Amino acid sequence: MSRWIGPVVVAVIAAVAAWYGTLAATPTVIMDRAWMRLSEQAGYNKMTHTPLVTAERQTIVRPSPDLAYSICAFDLSKAPLEVMANAVPDHYWSLTVFDSVTDVAFVESDRDSKGRPIRIALATADQTVPRGVRKIVMPDGKGVALIRVLLNNRAEIGAVDAYRKQSFCRPLEG
Amino acid sequence: MRTGIRYGIMLAVGLALGSGAAALQLKQSFAAMGIENGPWRTGEKVGTADASVATRATVALRGLLALPEREAIYFNAATDSQGRELSGKCRYRVAGGAIDARWWSLTLYDKAGYLIPNPASVYSVGSAAIPPAEKANWTVDIGRRRTGAHWIAIPDDQPFELTLRAYHPSRDLLAKRGSVPMPRIERGECRA
Repeated sequence: MSRWIGPVVVAVIAAVAAWYGTLAATPTVIMDRAWMRLSEQAGYNKMTHTPLVTAERQTIVRPSPDLAYSICAFDLSKAPLEVMANAVPDHYWSLTVFDSVTDVAFVESDRDSKGRPIRIALATADQTVPRGVRKIVMPDGKGVALIRVLLNNRAEIGAVDAYRKQSFCRPLEG
Repeated sequence: MRTGIRYGIMLAVGLALGSGAAALQLKQSFAAMGIENGPWRTGEKVGTADASVATRATVALRGLLALPEREAIYFNAATDSQGRELSGKCRYRVAGGAIDARWWSLTLYDKAGYLIPNPASVYSVGSAAIPPAEKANWTVDIGRRRTGAHWIAIPDDQPFELTLRAYHPSRDLLAKRGSVPMPRIERGECRA
């Protein structure tokens, strides 16, 4: 029986490591798949202003039917990225930047900007951006920028589109 | 049995048990997020590296690209207030009071986290639809047909989940997310 003590200890250590490793790897795996799907559908380094979510039109799990989403899958490998979220008066709106492991690298909303547009440059630590541009350092090159605009009712989408469709993301030209 | 084989077998058993336990934990809806408040489940530090591995994995799987809590807090329910699984076979009434946030919404999803097609295309109710006189005492009905002023459609018998989003939650709501009064989910009639 004592010959099994060592193997049982190994099994316990392996089980804990596998449990932790599975949970820890889940965000990276899922984000990677989502990035691929988004970039295949709409390209990357450009903002896509998606129509209102319906049951027949869902890209990401647990979408809110009360939000208008604009989304930009990005890859900083060739250049930093300029992101501009235009203000939508009298509505909650926000810009969130997620890194490749789903952590939030940047988030601000209309409350922070006091109704003004938000303009940032996403760059890796070794990339430079023009003087005066607000640089957000990303831990790695890939991620997703997401603009949300909260609708009081879905009929508002036409009026909201006039503002949100001015938002963009694009490579910063050197 | 040779020593190497014993270690090899137990290593494989350990890896299988560990990864299986993680998969099972993630499958158990939102319980892995850790904070319970009646039928509602939520987590802490969503969107940050400081969140627990279970919270981060659950959010990635069931609410990818969720806002961090300074912007919004998410409460999810897979059971009614008596702990019974939410089912399209039954009618429900969600009854709540004022929620200390700038805006809130209640949305119905299938077990995989997607909106369910329904003829009326009604998936959610937001606080903007609640008249001021009802803000402190509102109800939302869930069922196949509209039975009240505020209604979310469930078109068939499948089990479902509810998500309550509160945008720009107050500090008090964030601090007391596990104990603040939350909407009750009351089950009505069920079909056999």
